[in-house]
Amino acid sequence: MTAMNHDPQNETGPRALEPVYEPWTRRSFLKGAAVGLAGAAGVAAALHPLLALEEGEVALADLLQKHYRQLTPEDLRRIMDSLEAQCEREHGVRPAIRDPRPLDGVEFGYALNLARCIGCRRCVEACRQENNPSRDDEDDIEMAYIRVLEMNQGAINLETSNVYYDAETVPREGKYYMPAQCHQCRQAPCTKVCPVRATWQEPDGLVVIDYNWCIGCRYCMAACPYDARRFNYRKPAIPPDAINPDQSYLSNRIRPKGVVDKCTFCLHRTRAGKYPACLEVCPTGARVFGNLRDPGSEIRYVLEHKRVYILKEEVGTAPRFYYFFDR
Amino acid sequence: MRLDGKTIAGAAAAVAFLSVQFAAPWASSAAEPPAPSIALFTNLPVVARPPAQQPATGLPADTHLDKTPPRQTVGLDLVRNGWTYNCMECHKLIPARWHYDRPLNEHQNIRLEHGNNRFCLNCHHPSDRNAFVDYDGTAISQSDVVLLCGKCHGTIYRDWEAGAHGRQNGYWNPLMGARTKLRCIQCHDPHRPQFQPMKPLPPPKYPPRAAHPPAARDGAGPVTMPHE
Repeated sequence: MTAMNHDPQNETGPRALEPVYEPWTRRSFLKGAAVGLAGAAGVAAALHPLLALEEGEVALADLLQKHYRQLTPEDLRRIMDSLEAQCEREHGVRPAIRDPRPLDGVEFGYALNLARCIGCRRCVEACRQENNPSRDDEDDIEMAYIRVLEMNQGAINLETSNVYYDAETVPREGKYYMPAQCHQCRQAPCTKVCPVRATWQEPDGLVVIDYNWCIGCRYCMAACPYDARRFNYRKPAIPPDAINPDQSYLSNRIRPKGVVDKCTFCLHRTRAGKYPACLEVCPTGARVFGNLRDPGSEIRYVLEHKRVYILKEEVGTAPRFYYFFDR
Repeated sequence: MRLDGKTIAGAAAAVAFLSVQFAAPWASSAAEPPAPSIALFTNLPVVARPPAQQPATGLPADTHLDKTPPRQTVGLDLVRNGWTYNCMECHKLIPARWHYDRPLNEHQNIRLEHGNNRFCLNCHHPSDRNAFVDYDGTAISQSDVVLLCGKCHGTIYRDWEAGAHGRQNGYWNPLMGARTKLRCIQCHDPHRPQFQPMKPLPPPKYPPRAAHPPAARDGAGPVTMPHE
């Protein structure tokens, strides 16, 4: 009451206290209609998952799914079955989605020989064939996990690097090439900023994402100093014959719209003992992969005998991805 | 020297024939329609031996990845008009010589650009042309070609043994599966060992709605990583 009296806007004072009859004017009607429509749209949007539920596109259990690390094996299997069915419905191919777990006594490390790499981008193509990113869409941004930087010889200067180089033949005079992908950092900044803990580090060192838990805020992309993460702005567009049916829950299954994905060192391959796809196709053999905890592994040989360089060592991420120079 | 044209054409045709006959097992992706010149040779007998006994690269489950070795190895045999000739069929008649004062009639396709290594008999065995030669004159068989290269390239041979030089395929974990290593000549031409330049695959798409498209694709205009 007193507040009302002090209100300089309200000169009429007592009149405001009386019940006022306001007839429906054109303005108030339109205002009300607009608010009403907006509200209805909001409710519809909020209910959309439920409507999808009714149409059988989403199971109620998926909607109420727990975090990956809280799932029982049975729940996870059921969810993966549902994802397989969804993929078959949407893309016409039924994948086999697995959930390989970290191997005991294994910590993955990757090394890349900068003196050997010629920048042919075969690794990028292999990554695309292996990991089911979005393709064949004119408006799509590049979703492959590997970017090959063309650098000027004489320094490791990212500011003068070029990702979009194209040439008749590589390597070009005065250039060298540095493929960059997820470094699987020991002190991964991306996992620290995630507000919902949808990304974390596994015991074998791989930084993974639960795509069903990710809310798409992209904090992790801002935190990553290596530009290793990609955001699915739209539903991945993949022709059915390009889908790799060997998929896993945490790595290369077809991502939903609005989530972040990243390189996982092909964990569906590497946890089964195989090499990552990018290494398998490298024509120069510049890539070396192995178990950091095995003293006899080739990655340990490289770390112990070669001049190893860590990209952006000063940011303190302690990556498991190393570059080395060796003629 | 008047035979040059025919020799080169014959060798080229033989190589083309060979590639058509044997490309399939490891280069299924490069299915080219046979050129008309090759069709002339399709009625010739098939060469009994593949051009080189090389380990299988690639696992059946990985058909989507192209694991073709960078170089198709051709063994020591001479293949001409679809027939394979054992080296010694000619070389038992022709004595080995260190220096050749006239151009060769055979092996015209060989360009020897191997640095200081300018003599055939540095690597090839003087009396057994189906083998290579070690420092002490003993023969190194064709399948042990890695040992031949290791004669000079010891540090690289050491790295290759350790898995730090050259590509490996298969399983990083020997307990879970087999691993294949590419041998020297599956990437390097022994006569011209420098790794040859390649055509790169197309560059990534520039973000379609970005403000500043790259000024020049040739690297004149600096294009930075988004977070740099």
